[in-house]
Amino acid sequence: MKHETIETNAGWLIFLTLIVISIGGLVEIVPLYFIDDTVETVKVDGKDAVRPYTPLELRGRDIYQREGCYTCHSQMIRPFRDEALRYGHYSLAAESQFDHPFQWGSKRTGPDLARVGKKYSNQWHVQHMKAPRSVVPESIMPNYPWLLTNKLNYKDIENRLRALKMVGVPYSITEAEYEANVDRYGKATAELLDINKATRNLEAQAQSGNYDGNRDDITEMDAMIAYLQVLGTMVDFKKFEDGYFTKFR
Amino acid sequence: MIEWLTWFTSMENTKPFVLVLFFITFVGIIMYVYTGRKRSERLESYKNIPLTEDEGEQSTHPEEANK
Amino acid sequence: MANEAVTTEQYNYDIVRSFTIMTIVWGVLGMLVGVYIASELAWPFMNFDIAAITFGRLRPVHTTLVVFGFGGSALFATSYYVVQRTCQVRLWGTGLAKFTFWGWQLSVGLAAISYMMGYTQAREYAEMVWPIDLLIAVTWVSYLVVFVMTLVNRSQPHIYVANWFFISFILATALLHIFNNMAVPVSMFSLESYSLHAGVQDAMTQWWYGHNAVGFFLTAAFLGMMYYFIPKHVGRPIYSYRLSIIHFWALIFLYMWVGAHHLHWTALPDWTSTLAATFSIMLLLPSWGGMINGIMTLSGAWDRLRSDPVVRFMIVSLSFYGMSTFEGPLMSLKSVNALSHYTDWTVGHVHSGALGWVAMITFGSLYHLIPRLWGTKMYSEKMIFAHFWLATIGIVLYISALWVAGIGQGLMLRAFDEYGNLAYTFIESVSFLHTPYVVRTIGGLFFLTGMIIMAYNVFMTIRKGRVEGAALDAKLAAKLANA
Repeated sequence: MKHETIETNAGWLIFLTLIVISIGGLVEIVPLYFIDDTVETVKVDGKDAVRPYTPLELRGRDIYQREGCYTCHSQMIRPFRDEALRYGHYSLAAESQFDHPFQWGSKRTGPDLARVGKKYSNQWHVQHMKAPRSVVPESIMPNYPWLLTNKLNYKDIENRLRALKMVGVPYSITEAEYEANVDRYGKATAELLDINKATRNLEAQAQSGNYDGNRDDITEMDAMIAYLQVLGTMVDFKKFEDGYFTKFR
Repeated sequence: MIEWLTWFTSMENTKPFVLVLFFITFVGIIMYVYTGRKRSERLESYKNIPLTEDEGEQSTHPEEANK
Repeated sequence: MANEAVTTEQYNYDIVRSFTIMTIVWGVLGMLVGVYIASELAWPFMNFDIAAITFGRLRPVHTTLVVFGFGGSALFATSYYVVQRTCQVRLWGTGLAKFTFWGWQLSVGLAAISYMMGYTQAREYAEMVWPIDLLIAVTWVSYLVVFVMTLVNRSQPHIYVANWFFISFILATALLHIFNNMAVPVSMFSLESYSLHAGVQDAMTQWWYGHNAVGFFLTAAFLGMMYYFIPKHVGRPIYSYRLSIIHFWALIFLYMWVGAHHLHWTALPDWTSTLAATFSIMLLLPSWGGMINGIMTLSGAWDRLRSDPVVRFMIVSLSFYGMSTFEGPLMSLKSVNALSHYTDWTVGHVHSGALGWVAMITFGSLYHLIPRLWGTKMYSEKMIFAHFWLATIGIVLYISALWVAGIGQGLMLRAFDEYGNLAYTFIESVSFLHTPYVVRTIGGLFFLTGMIIMAYNVFMTIRKGRVEGAALDAKLAAKLANA
């Protein structure tokens, strides 16, 4: 075929262009769904270590997205010595398997948050969110005082969990789904993933966690800190042999 | 049939295979485009398309060169 | 106006004029937001505790306004102009073309407002919520139809090379937009949604999209602009048509593989990012092939560098294209990426492409185009020179500051003291960033000032064109009355 055939025929030009631009994506994306080792299996005592977010953590994650935290904070620790010392064990694919969308980020204007959970107290987080420079004088993070005054809207929490269920996150509606979660995560976690109990679970976690230091109402700060405090805490690396995770890389 | 396809699932096979495939395609395109005096002249003649537009339509416009 | 009426009959310039004006409007607004968020990083009090203008919410406003508002409108304007001129036929579907104008402007405007209100998909450069995504999809398909139908109706036997780049950009963008934005809404009446993919697969899809937004939206399409406006402006055909054939096919093939170099050392499997890095290095060849094609076209018109500011914009844009397409493959190497990733080096790299290449070739093309659209000369050539210098100085300040910021922070974060402990805390690297951030803001301010001068110059040119057109009409009418 002459190149002129393509140049004089819009149909050919479009057809060949489509083929040429499709190859790269097909080769790199499609196998990620079929190669088993892409997302590691992380089991402790026969149960999956990484669970979906609880309703309160999920609402916190929504707020994390809303405020564009990903524009300055990554959630992906790389396997380097300095990052291990600064942040902890490198991030596993399994740890973001329920992240719709992923929040790995691309820029660290602030530090990585993949394992920020449990590193600071709730009070520290409240103060830091309200006025970052009051705890870290050189910080350039904006203040987020409204998180403390905005009541958390969780009217549509069940819809949110249902939407996530549709894209493959194992929240349960039926009894059978609930039982499957009991097998997979244990009873306590399976309770938290029950869509029918979402509202109750959310209120209970906010009450008992008391993240913003005020039990009278549930604020966006409650949700945000609940989310930050769970980041990177689901896999207990002490329970795995050294080098267990390297075989997946 | 299936066994024949599994050959492609091994990285050791596919890497050199696509390397050769892409390289041959690339060299083929280069050879096609750059060999043959007649073909070259023909291909190069199309570069004048933007310059042979109907200039009359621009008559009310000022000279384009900023001399 | 008589002269406009004549051209309107032959070609649809109305749509080109509309998009040209919006290019400048979004350019001023988008760069203004850019300078503002740059100053928020230098002086955090600028966030003023107002949710809508915090950095996290404004950054997508900046990227959307400059990439899709400024860049997108420029591409609509020039592609509609080029396809008509090189096919020698009027744009197909006047009404549908008008729809693409309103659909696109509405998408960009609504996107910006929705981010400030806190509605976002939190996917870089694809932050628009699902209803806006749908509007974009419809607009984009209409664009494809208008463009392809115009190609089909052409009266030239050949489809000129600029149009290949435009069509590949339209097709690729459609593909990327649809696959990257697949999501399930929380409910029919909620603006929020959850993405179809998660974790590793989502990251791969997003950066396949993200890097090809650069590859096709900000490169292939602007190469289409280059392949028409550079030869046209200097009155010399493109240096090598055969090179442009190789350039085109190699570029569109290779670009689609390279996105995963944004995910080196992450939880993405090693084979994927290694493959992406390999293709990134190969991509240097077609990129430089294209740059050489452009520069060699300009060679022979070097004398006009002194007298013609448009030629200056063009040569500088090609130089930055060459520079950033060299820097890109360099940064895709795993060892370099280990340092550069997560730092401002990446941000600087994007801007040397976006300001140096995309914006400069756009300015050059628009200064060529605007006198022809409004049937007059530019109001002030001095202002074009001023714009050129402000833009060039601005870019140099910007990218040098971010080289210092990025490489400096990268080195600080991986430094160890003699006992093997980390030499610096994270916050020490943030303090270090202050000075480069101030310089970067100043660089941005230079660039913005140039853009505002251009806006004023274009405004006065359009006014002048209208007055001259009216005077010509009056003359014609008087002649007719006397006859």
